[in-house]
Amino acid sequence: MYVKNHPIDQEELMAYLDGELAADRAMVAAAHLEECRECQDLAGDLRGVSVRLMGWQVESSGLRVQNTVATALDKQRPKPNRLALLRQWRWAWGSAVVCILVVVLALPRWSQNYGTEQFFAPPQQARVRPAPEPQPPVGLDKLSATAPMIARTAQLTITTKDLDKARASLEDILKQHKGYLGDLNTSDPTDAAHVLNATLRVPVDQLESVIAELKKLGRVESESQAGEEITQQYVDLEARLANSRNSERRMTDLLRDRTGKLSDVLSVEKEIDRVRGEIEQMEAERKTMRNRVDFATVTVKLTEDYKAGLQLPPGSLLNRFRNAAVEGYTAMVEGAAGAAVFLLSYGPSVLLWAALLFLPVRFLLKRIRRRAAH
Amino acid sequence: MTSDEALMLQFQGGSRDAFEELFARYREPLYGFFRRRLDSRERAEDLAQETFLAVIRATARYEPRSLVRTYLYGIALKLVAAERRKPGTTSLEGQAPAAEESHETALWVREALDKLDPSEREVLMLREYEQLSYQEIAELLRLPVNTVRSRLFRSRMALRSRLEPKEEGLKCT
Repeated sequence: MYVKNHPIDQEELMAYLDGELAADRAMVAAAHLEECRECQDLAGDLRGVSVRLMGWQVESSGLRVQNTVATALDKQRPKPNRLALLRQWRWAWGSAVVCILVVVLALPRWSQNYGTEQFFAPPQQARVRPAPEPQPPVGLDKLSATAPMIARTAQLTITTKDLDKARASLEDILKQHKGYLGDLNTSDPTDAAHVLNATLRVPVDQLESVIAELKKLGRVESESQAGEEITQQYVDLEARLANSRNSERRMTDLLRDRTGKLSDVLSVEKEIDRVRGEIEQMEAERKTMRNRVDFATVTVKLTEDYKAGLQLPPGSLLNRFRNAAVEGYTAMVEGAAGAAVFLLSYGPSVLLWAALLFLPVRFLLKRIRRRAAH
Repeated sequence: MTSDEALMLQFQGGSRDAFEELFARYREPLYGFFRRRLDSRERAEDLAQETFLAVIRATARYEPRSLVRTYLYGIALKLVAAERRKPGTTSLEGQAPAAEESHETALWVREALDKLDPSEREVLMLREYEQLSYQEIAELLRLPVNTVRSRLFRSRMALRSRLEPKEEGLKCT
């Protein structure tokens, strides 16, 4: 009888109040509960029962770890569950295995490069190494905690004699210094100089040599360099990221360990989604920041020396006459077609009305003339 | 806050602090569990201690498949069942109210609970006092979740009719 009039049964209503109903049914229950007086009464009764049951509170125990438990604790010395231990320390075990593998694999190569005597020499001797080779881009990992993080930028305007050749050289420079092209635009107008605008991203430690080589592409019209310190921004971002991750973890734990009303669970899930979105956004921002520090941005404008040539109007005279004749003919045909269409559309109606009105009008005109004669 | 399961794993690894933290978290809930089911306060304390003792003894075999909370109440339920089987033991069923429970509401709730069917009463108490989810109760009592829900509903409906007149009476006095 209840089901006939209500979209949820009484047990479902109770489960909804306990936060134990599946999300889809919970939405139905919530919507129904707002408008159904009978269900509101039942919900009130169920809540009332829980409240009344809470009236039975037991006194505090003052329980302490008794001697029996303490003795058991001392005697027991829990035998570690090997499986659990393995699971708990899986990262440590994994790291140890990786370290051993690295040492085993690196040992023969090291011996080839430095000889076994040097490898096994005392630390003071082992520190003597050949001159360092050119290093790959300095990443954040290699920056010390106190090193400032500088995002470097440079602008160059260069006039060159041969733009195509300069462009090829520019691509070579990028390839040689392990940089990449961020953006490239070219403009080839017929009556002005050809221009190439490019944004280059080059490893920050290669910036000076890249600029020096770019200058060789032509005459330098202007040059500027700048550095923006983003250490503070980066530190702030890291702190915010850590806080958000902690919040996410706490809320996930809360969701897993606690039971409660569905509305509370849904709001926690919504909050988790929001925090995850923030974390993803901040991680992307951090990646961008690292990229800005690792790779300097060089904006280059290459302009070709402009040589003005004789400009002729487009198209020949004969073609212009021909085009005018075609346009005239088209206009004439369209005009005639328009008149024919008008006559065909309104002609029959005009003829009909003329035939109908001819005799009465003629009669009236005659009478008027007769009166005027008398 | 470290989760119960992480503490249990730490205890498996030999951390006494982890056990003491678990003891602190579940001392009162377990005492309340036994106290509401047994007449004797001392016996309730003893059984709470025995629950922890059983945890210590079975530590090596513990695997984090289910929540520590469910694990503890599982042990507690077995201890209560064993206690009730002992001759001469008084439990909630038919027991006289403890002397210190002078509060009228508590007495009246106990009387109302006492009249419930034992299987329905257990489900209700696990839900209301131990705050276990339907799924956890189903695991502990080895029942289908739908059965848990039906029993819970029946017991609440039965209590509704039993508790209301008493409440009105109390208000009038």
